[in-house]
Amino acid sequence: MSKEKKSFSRRKFLQRGVIVLGGSVVASYLGCSPMRRFTAQKVESMDLPASISSLKPDFWFEILADNTILLKSPKIEMGQGVWTGLAMMAAEELEVSLDKIKVEHANTGSGLIDNVNTGGSSSTSSLYGPVREVAATMREMLKAAAAKQWNVSISAVKTENGTLSSGGKKATYGEIVASTKEWDEPKTPTLKPKSAFKIIGKEVKRVDLKPKVMGTAKYTLDSELPDMLYAVLVKSPYLDATIKSVDSNEATKSAGVVKIVREGNLLAVVAKSFYAADSAAKKVVVEWNTPNKTQQADLIKLVTVGNGKEANIQKEGSAKSILKDNKTEVFRQEYRTPMATHAQMEVNGAIAHVEANKVLIITGSQGPSQVRDVVAKAIDIKKDTIDVHTPLLGGGFGRKAAPGLAAEAAIISKIVGKPIKVYNSRQHEFQNGVYRPNTHHVLQAKMTKDSKIEAITHDQATPDMYVRNMVGEIGLKLLGSDFLSAGHGASLMYNVPNKSVSVWNTDVPIPISIWRAVGMFPNTFAIESFINELAHKAGKDAIDFRLDMLTDKDDKIIERSRKVLETLIEKSGWETPKADGVGRGIAIGNDRKSIAAAAIEVEIIEGKIKVKKVTNVLDMGQIINPEGIKAQIEGCVMMGISATLYEELTVKDGQIEQAYFSQYPLASLSDVPEILSFLLEGDDVPYGVGEPPLSPIAPAIVGAVLNLTGKALRSLPLRLS
Amino acid sequence: MKIDFKLNGKPTSIDVDPAMPLLWVVRDELKLTATKFGCGMAMCGACTLHIDGEAIRSCSVPVESIAGKNIITLEGLSESEANLHPIQQAWMEEQVPQCGYCQSGFMMAAAKLIKENPNPTDDDIKNGITNICRCGTHPRIIKAIKRAAEINNQNH
Repeated sequence: MSKEKKSFSRRKFLQRGVIVLGGSVVASYLGCSPMRRFTAQKVESMDLPASISSLKPDFWFEILADNTILLKSPKIEMGQGVWTGLAMMAAEELEVSLDKIKVEHANTGSGLIDNVNTGGSSSTSSLYGPVREVAATMREMLKAAAAKQWNVSISAVKTENGTLSSGGKKATYGEIVASTKEWDEPKTPTLKPKSAFKIIGKEVKRVDLKPKVMGTAKYTLDSELPDMLYAVLVKSPYLDATIKSVDSNEATKSAGVVKIVREGNLLAVVAKSFYAADSAAKKVVVEWNTPNKTQQADLIKLVTVGNGKEANIQKEGSAKSILKDNKTEVFRQEYRTPMATHAQMEVNGAIAHVEANKVLIITGSQGPSQVRDVVAKAIDIKKDTIDVHTPLLGGGFGRKAAPGLAAEAAIISKIVGKPIKVYNSRQHEFQNGVYRPNTHHVLQAKMTKDSKIEAITHDQATPDMYVRNMVGEIGLKLLGSDFLSAGHGASLMYNVPNKSVSVWNTDVPIPISIWRAVGMFPNTFAIESFINELAHKAGKDAIDFRLDMLTDKDDKIIERSRKVLETLIEKSGWETPKADGVGRGIAIGNDRKSIAAAAIEVEIIEGKIKVKKVTNVLDMGQIINPEGIKAQIEGCVMMGISATLYEELTVKDGQIEQAYFSQYPLASLSDVPEILSFLLEGDDVPYGVGEPPLSPIAPAIVGAVLNLTGKALRSLPLRLS
Repeated sequence: MKIDFKLNGKPTSIDVDPAMPLLWVVRDELKLTATKFGCGMAMCGACTLHIDGEAIRSCSVPVESIAGKNIITLEGLSESEANLHPIQQAWMEEQVPQCGYCQSGFMMAAAKLIKENPNPTDDDIKNGITNICRCGTHPRIIKAIKRAAEINNQNH
């Protein structure tokens, strides 16, 4: 085995009592150079492995003397099960049972966390190589250390269930760690082949299951600091409102109030308890300037194809001229999706303790390193003095990729001089949030005489959800359009000779953000609804119609898509007779190489669409945690039903009109259909699972309604009349 | 105002504003954080706990109204970790939680449901619990409640 000698400092190593080994995922994101690996050598302090941050690890392991392994995760657990997936990958190569691995969030003070947000269904795929490689490296280091102690060859040392053995010699990982002075690090350990997997792909219990069932799991709102005060923000229900005047006389006299803080347009009541702060906040009288006068009609008009900057993102053949030359034969339809909110169950909140040269932030965020940037700017302090701790997230869905309340908490803490806990009311979440923007789509096609698509175009209008928030990414801004987020999924996957897709980028006077599945959600709704309509018009079976356009045998995505649809036919009973009053629809999407399709059966009961059965087929490549994948599919089905049948935000006079759950109904237990999920491994690396199954739900429901009633619904949420 | 009640079996006394919602008394004064804040308007059910055996949304209950009553939160639902309440056993078996935030409220509502209805059908469950979950754990909640009813019936 080729080796790279690295000496740990004995003294410091024994002080630590752990092996620390980590890696950076940056290389794997860029997909070029091999992963950087490093060992911790300069540990001067005992409390946190902060000294290795100069080497910029994004994740790392520590083997503790009690033989447990701590995995510091660069990815945030918000319910999607990423901790479990990473722990499974690590346990596989380390040859330990899953319960030996303890997962925690890496945090910005004790070692840099991944600079990329947790999102885009990319966590598992981006870390599949790096985590296993570092885990395997650690295993080989332990073997080498044991071999040296026992005076045997490395190949004579076996690892099993956290124990090293050779002949009659036996020691736990923890024992070897405690007794090793010098470490040898192998350069490139061999990774297990798939056939040898004992944990990856097998049924396990998620690692955060028990605390979540026992009620001991800690979220931001459950966290505390000694001597902490509570702040409640006073906000206007109007967008972009600024303070004209404040009368806080009554509020100041309210029980438990410590201070009323006003800093620019930040207005907060600070008190000894949340209840005291909240009660006093209701007594603050504010006059607001409300410059934003946006009406719903303005928003619809702004977000309309033809308005804004056009960027052509897909062009094959000469679709536009064919459509232009054959106007009378063109089938043209328009689709719209509404503005929506994330409505995650845990409101945004943060705890901040600002001291002279030290800032502690506790906040549930999908992007802790961005939280640090925002706080540094808000209170004008150096980034490296800020330690961001991330508890579990009570749901994310993109909402917690946007800055939460860390900056507000820090500003108030700096003024008051004490730790501050602040969180939103549900009304704040609805009316002072960031939103999934509305979209508009125009699809046009010309069919051949034998009912094949000859030419097709998709024009999509939306404000960008991502690029406009990227400071300094001038290159991306110059592209003129956001095909990274809103435009994602706008292009057409089918093998049609002539196709053209344009994204019309416009700005809206509403704060917008990414929402689960991002551009895939509206784009798949529009494209797949249109495909269903074309099939319906041609009198063809909706799956056959698609299979006829998935013909390129050299394209792996196309081949995997065919397999997904063929599996769906079999598993959903697509070709079996339907009961009376039942409509069937399907849709498929390729979301960053995860292929998801759904066949849905609906009924109309008392004038309302009722989803009865959803059959999902997902090809997400290598399966890590099958039960976790199924949970994500079920979640996507429920969120898909919710967004298709119920969810819509509207704006009036510059105010989001929905302020409470009663005004923004979500799918509930009564909406649960029969759900079947089937997984295909069409590739040997894992792709995303948290978002891809969401996109086919809306168009498959629409297709089922079309199948049942002959009526094509083209606007979400669906309304029958 | 001093208010006495039982919390998870223990006699408890608290001296706070009588109008303070029970949710904040449990979370901020008594430091039991399984019971969650979701909306503050009794619309989502994240704050559900038991008052004298009834599943109640504690964000909208002034603490003065619970004097002399028996409050059970999720922390007090099971006798011990070794002897879990059927609802928590079933929640483990079916791996219900995703983000987990709404689950305490759901489990408390579900515990009440199977007590009243030892053999609930899908429709009983769908109509009986109106709590909100955004991760979409609903299908597993229904399975887990039926499983919990089974465990409960075997135990008796």
